[in-house]
Amino acid sequence: MTVTEMAVSTATRGARFVPGTSEEQQLFARHQQGDRLAREELVRRFMPLARSLARRYDRSSEPFEDLLQVASLGLLKALDRFDPEMGHPFASFAVPTILGEMRRHFRDAGWSVHVPRGSQERALKVRDAQERLANERGRAPTVQELAQYLELGQDDVIDALQAIQAYESLSLDAPRPGATDEATSYGDAMGEEDARYELVELDATVSAVLGRIPQRERQILRMRFVEDLTQTEIAARVGISQMQVSRLLRRSLDQLRALTDTKS
Amino acid sequence: MAVAPNVSLTLSNQPENVLLVRETLSGLAETVGVDGVELNDIRTAVTEACNNVVLHAYEGGEGPLQVELYVAPSAVEVVVRDRGTGIRPHIRSEEEDALGIGLSIIQALAPRVEFKDVEGGGTEVRMEFSTPGTESLAPLAEGGFEPPRVAEASLATTTGLALAPSELAGRVLPRVMCVLAARARFTTDRISDAELLADALVSRGFQSGAQQHMTLSVQVGAREVELRLGPLGGGDAGKLMANTDAGIGPVVEKLTDERRIASEGAFEMLELTMRDKR
Repeated sequence: MTVTEMAVSTATRGARFVPGTSEEQQLFARHQQGDRLAREELVRRFMPLARSLARRYDRSSEPFEDLLQVASLGLLKALDRFDPEMGHPFASFAVPTILGEMRRHFRDAGWSVHVPRGSQERALKVRDAQERLANERGRAPTVQELAQYLELGQDDVIDALQAIQAYESLSLDAPRPGATDEATSYGDAMGEEDARYELVELDATVSAVLGRIPQRERQILRMRFVEDLTQTEIAARVGISQMQVSRLLRRSLDQLRALTDTKS
Repeated sequence: MAVAPNVSLTLSNQPENVLLVRETLSGLAETVGVDGVELNDIRTAVTEACNNVVLHAYEGGEGPLQVELYVAPSAVEVVVRDRGTGIRPHIRSEEEDALGIGLSIIQALAPRVEFKDVEGGGTEVRMEFSTPGTESLAPLAEGGFEPPRVAEASLATTTGLALAPSELAGRVLPRVMCVLAARARFTTDRISDAELLADALVSRGFQSGAQQHMTLSVQVGAREVELRLGPLGGGDAGKLMANTDAGIGPVVEKLTDERRIASEGAFEMLELTMRDKR
């Protein structure tokens, strides 16, 4: 097995964004002498590189316009610092410079917070669209339908679905407008003991620990696993989003399993 | 780096599988506490390496894309492997620029990159990322490890994956199931059910038999996802499906449309089918 480091440098040389032509070499030479027109022409020529990097560098977390702006700034820095005398292709110098600029931007923006702004906004859009489409059609939408409706990529919709799963924020948990307080009345009407009794079917071992799951979660578990309602139907009854139902189901099943673990 | 990975994926080189790799990375990152710029670097570089296999490894045709993830103290290593013509013949073409940038990106973002020829044909890109503070996770297997096998003929519709330890599997498998259920054109209702199923399998799957890791293959059809878990020891699939402390039977029964236990020599395979009958 051979390490093909050489192959890599060949690859960068083979790239389009290389001052291979004498015309570009001239532009770099004029730029170095302070020719503003030459600089503008170089920016124009290499902007596709900045654009392509902005597009690739985590597509889903920040608005593209912001990324492109930062990438363009990186391109300007690369153009000003590049030394054609060194004999390296411009791309091999520009790519790390532009990426470095984008990484610095993310660090400065305090980007290590869990869900970036762009993703958060998109998650809210996806959640709202999910509800609207479910209302219109009487069933939950597919990812493809959500993507088409919101003019987003399917990848973005799936990213958003995952982000919603990760949220614990109250803004997502708040009741939707127009939601009834059926969940509360529902629980009262059927009686707590009944709910507990029926849920034992779900798991022979849960009866001892079921009381330690909040009432609302018990009701949602019952609706899904005893009454066989879909998550969308449960969402409509309880007055929260389907995504929220999904999260509550996952959490309470997880709690039940953890509780039966400690019990045994 | 450890001998065996923490996650091993056997995929086809279809473009939509890049998302599956990205979601897997996100699950792993969540487990070991890597986020922000570090996670973004890893996702971006690995996406480039995968896109290369998607676009160039099989000259427009289809073939395997294999991805392995390793977590070590303060480092995450990702290996992307193909069995095709790979990077090397491609770089001879002066016209195509995409890969040129791709390799520059990988080299700019991964502190250590290694390109290797795979015996019998193919290319391997090994990228090591620095992730200060991460601790190593128990790998898939102590001895030798075979990546999950998927027959070449069914590779287009089938995803093979092996995962360990359970905490990592708990973060990765639901994400993978979400991607695959979406691909099967499930509604968001059934996608959530697929995630619930993944949670259940991870919670008890590791307790059955002498499994050091969980090996699954998932086949995607039209509004249908078929999951095969195993090999499990004799009787273990039954225990997993039972209505006991160690079982997940009642939950699985509600979430799936078909359940079978198939024998494979001395071992058992648990086969589950989910449909979206909207």
